[in-house]
Amino acid sequence: MEALLQAIYDGIIDGNKDQVTAKVQEALDNGLPPETILNQGMVAAMAEVGRLFEEGEYFVPEMLVAARAMQAGLALLKPKLVQADVKAAGKVVAGTVKGDLHDIGKNLVCMMLEGASFEIIDLGSDVSPERFVEAVQAYQADIVAMSALLTTTMPNMKVTIDALKAAGLRDKVKVMVGGAPVTPEFAREIGADGTAPDASQAVTLAKSLIGA
Amino acid sequence: MAKLSPLDGRQLLLAVLRHEKTDQVPWVPFAGVHAGKLKGYSGREILTDGGKLFEALIMVNEVYQPDGQPVVFDLQVEAEILGCQLLWSETAPPSVASHPLAQDMTIPTHLPQPDDGRLPIILDVMRRMKQVVGEKTALFGLVTGPFTLASHLRGTDIFIDSVDHPDFLTDLLSYTTQVAFRIADYYLEAGMDVIAVVDPLVSQISPRHFKRFMSEPFSAIFDYLRTKDALSSFFVCGDATKNIEVMCQTSPDSIFIDENIDMVAAKQITDRYNITLGGNIPLTTRMLLGTQQDNMAYVIDLLDKLDHHNLVIAPGCDMPYDVPVENVIGVMRAVREPEQTRKILENYQSVESAIEVTLPNYTNLKRPLVEVFTIDSDTCAACSYMYSAAKRAAQELNGAIDVIEYKITQPENVARVKKLGITHLPCILINGELKFSSIIPSTRELLEEIDKVERG
Repeated sequence: MEALLQAIYDGIIDGNKDQVTAKVQEALDNGLPPETILNQGMVAAMAEVGRLFEEGEYFVPEMLVAARAMQAGLALLKPKLVQADVKAAGKVVAGTVKGDLHDIGKNLVCMMLEGASFEIIDLGSDVSPERFVEAVQAYQADIVAMSALLTTTMPNMKVTIDALKAAGLRDKVKVMVGGAPVTPEFAREIGADGTAPDASQAVTLAKSLIGA
Repeated sequence: MAKLSPLDGRQLLLAVLRHEKTDQVPWVPFAGVHAGKLKGYSGREILTDGGKLFEALIMVNEVYQPDGQPVVFDLQVEAEILGCQLLWSETAPPSVASHPLAQDMTIPTHLPQPDDGRLPIILDVMRRMKQVVGEKTALFGLVTGPFTLASHLRGTDIFIDSVDHPDFLTDLLSYTTQVAFRIADYYLEAGMDVIAVVDPLVSQISPRHFKRFMSEPFSAIFDYLRTKDALSSFFVCGDATKNIEVMCQTSPDSIFIDENIDMVAAKQITDRYNITLGGNIPLTTRMLLGTQQDNMAYVIDLLDKLDHHNLVIAPGCDMPYDVPVENVIGVMRAVREPEQTRKILENYQSVESAIEVTLPNYTNLKRPLVEVFTIDSDTCAACSYMYSAAKRAAQELNGAIDVIEYKITQPENVARVKKLGITHLPCILINGELKFSSIIPSTRELLEEIDKVERG
């Protein structure tokens, strides 16, 4: 059993989708609890991928292939997790703000959060404040994660926070913001709950925000 | 003005890019969409209207007195020609909204022609800039780097392609390199002195990945530019710390970096390769959101930390549209007059309690009082324009107003500036009220404001 979990772990770190799919299936067939496969195989591997990214060992391509391998395994695992009533760490509504089409950073954050067993509602890019508000309401999200690459679209983070306030949702949801021009001062100024400099640290932030 | 030697700016920058010893550090403001702000045009207007672009660039040249200046900073020009749809913004360059190769992985064959897309406008403005300021200012033609252009065409799958379709990625990069050759040819023919290959995406890949896929295309471009006797630059935005070495190995004449990379560490590497390094004033924290003093202090710190040989001071990347003009002026001032700037900064820190100044009784003035606060109108072009505007107004009114200049080279004037809460220079106050900051008013605008104040 240890060997199977190790193979899943290694498969994700190497971005080997086929290995991860085969080994997750094998682990399930062998009666390994889905929660164990998730936490000891996949979440642990994505945490290591995050560490490698933070240390400058992994870059965007390595992260993307690792996340793709993780998602392939997760697709097999998800129905079993639902059956076993395993809850996600939290629900995150994510998107790049209105006027901004840059989604690499947002995608990486979503993948890392998913790899840390958060449920992700990815609204894509160029997301209006109204769509963020609707999604928070519809999915009862714990966290709103907003991304912006442009200094000119950054202000839409505040507009979205104001829209959440106006809808009476601001106290019910945590707000995290990120992207190249976003600084901790800016995050504080617009009334966000936090920011992180990269996708890996976004996971730590998300966990701390909801006390996971 | 002698020390500013505006006529020597081009020679100075080109000498530094050729790695010659110089006694000054050159200054290159990356005013892309920000150029529009100086003339009241939107970013979109100057990127689509040659007349407005030219006016704005001339204004940049007058106000910021650059040694080198980019003519257009828009990494979507080639992408638009090759079929990407653009999402336009009024205050930022456009973004790519569609990727023609997202589904269809057929490598294109079309190479841009001079009448494609916005090239006719750009080439015309390049020629006009060359004619008007080209003798005193080195002009940069910015070419989209092969990796960033490939990503525009393919979308974010470009990253996974390195694993799933490495041959496709190599072929696509080979094509985008041909596009870069072609665009560089046009820009050189239009009179550009330096071709900058701008590839922010390089910050997102590992040195191993760079060597496998990027070393060849970038080396080919810089070799090609050398055969054309053109100077070259490799611009990267984002944290490309680990790639500086492999970037150097592609042999550009210079590398420009942003605040994500430590200039001292980067310069240790570029110096080993005898490559000029430019950068890296932080775009958001300092230039957009900081004060004039923050920007001056950053430049002084850079100049103190770095060997001045093979060095250019520049913003980290394309300046945001709304960067206060005063901040850029502060940077220019600090590059050109570091010793005086150091004194100004010291005064700012120490002057608080040391000097007591008495402000005029603004509510009880006999005639309108126009106070011009400058860094120093003798050495700062924007300051001299601001002061001249006030003097012209006084002439128009036959001396019926009082005009006074306060230069912050004097500690007591720093105290005055602080007492009045002025944060950006140059500026004009009329009867104690801030009326014009950085943007120089026309005589008519100034007379109208004076008239309004007089009427109460």
